[in-house]
Amino acid sequence: MFTQFFGNYLLNKGLVSSSQLSRALSEQKNTRAKLGVLAINAGYMTPEQVDKVHAEQQRVDMRMGDLAVKMGFLTGEQVDELLSQQGLAHLALGQTLVDSGVMTNAGFAEALSSYKAENSLTDVDFTDKTGNKVNEIIANFYSFTDEPQKELLTEYVTLLFKNLIRFIGDDFTPLSPEKIPSARSSYTAVQRTEGAFVSSTAFDASENAYVSFASRYAGESLTDADEMADGANGEFLNLHNGLFSVNVSNEHGLEIKLVPQEYRRGGIIPGPAYRIAVVFPFGTVCFYVAPGK
Amino acid sequence: MAVEEMKVLICDDSIFVRKKLAAVLKNCGVAEIVEAGDGEQAVQMFEECSPDLTLMDIVMPKMSGVEALKAILEKDPKAKVVMASSVGTQENLKEAINIGAFDFLQKPISDSQLEMLIKKLAK
Repeated sequence: MFTQFFGNYLLNKGLVSSSQLSRALSEQKNTRAKLGVLAINAGYMTPEQVDKVHAEQQRVDMRMGDLAVKMGFLTGEQVDELLSQQGLAHLALGQTLVDSGVMTNAGFAEALSSYKAENSLTDVDFTDKTGNKVNEIIANFYSFTDEPQKELLTEYVTLLFKNLIRFIGDDFTPLSPEKIPSARSSYTAVQRTEGAFVSSTAFDASENAYVSFASRYAGESLTDADEMADGANGEFLNLHNGLFSVNVSNEHGLEIKLVPQEYRRGGIIPGPAYRIAVVFPFGTVCFYVAPGK
Repeated sequence: MAVEEMKVLICDDSIFVRKKLAAVLKNCGVAEIVEAGDGEQAVQMFEECSPDLTLMDIVMPKMSGVEALKAILEKDPKAKVVMASSVGTQENLKEAINIGAFDFLQKPISDSQLEMLIKKLAK
């Protein structure tokens, strides 16, 4: 999940545009980080050294790793170690941005290094399966400090991102959260939760994004914002709220009840609510949580 | 009972979920599939169709799945009702099992989970 938040960091720093990031996120699945990006990430090579090896590769028919060893920038062991990290998604994102000319190797190195420093991240954190660091990043990203149930809200949002990755896809970037007095609804699925976590939750998107999101969840191509699209999006919201209630029941011994979903076109999403906007290649979708409503 | 003779009632307020489950059941070779979109309709359809298996969502309009389960078991104490919900909290589980639910499936329900359930019933 680091990739999604690293993407948000690049966006907020103005290093990439929303459309460049969306394109890169959808292309990164087919991209494996190359040795240059991996070596910069590990601090084994500077961007200038990577560029030197790339330039040399234009003249000599040798693989990047062999050439870097020959030029004295890497050892054979370092090459093996780096190649084993090719699957790291945030590096694949960086590689896609470098390949498409959006960023240079030096720009990517600087951005990654500041991102790591600002979030106190080490390379080990990126492969940590416990997810502790991810939870910390989300907690810092979404500051619910004034909320009486800030811990539950953070857990709610953390699970939301996990469910988006699990059921919709990992090619998204979360935008910075906002607390809004109310919002205009376009195509919306709404569900109230009661009991230990009273809230009004909603999923809202433009017609096209509503249909595209439903298509991804359904695993089939839907064409209209009809009953089937409502059923799929409402079920995603219900599934997320349901899994959240299971976690809260198991971990805190608290019971949350769900009210059947409703579907709206137009009108107002009541607040104050937290808007969690998420950019996918097909458009932006918004989740709303209004605690206490 | 053979799968080819089995009649299944799917109760869920989401048409998307009903179609998904129906497609898997059809692939399993289930003879007849009927659908209900809320708890009230579920009880009514149960009376009309006498299904061999009822898949019951919990969070539904008009009447919840747990209330519908109670009503169905009052009519037929041997009815096989499997609760199928994302809300698998301990309280829900305890309540449904105490009332007499045959089993509980946590959503999202995979094709293989449903196939296994049908095979178990077909034995």
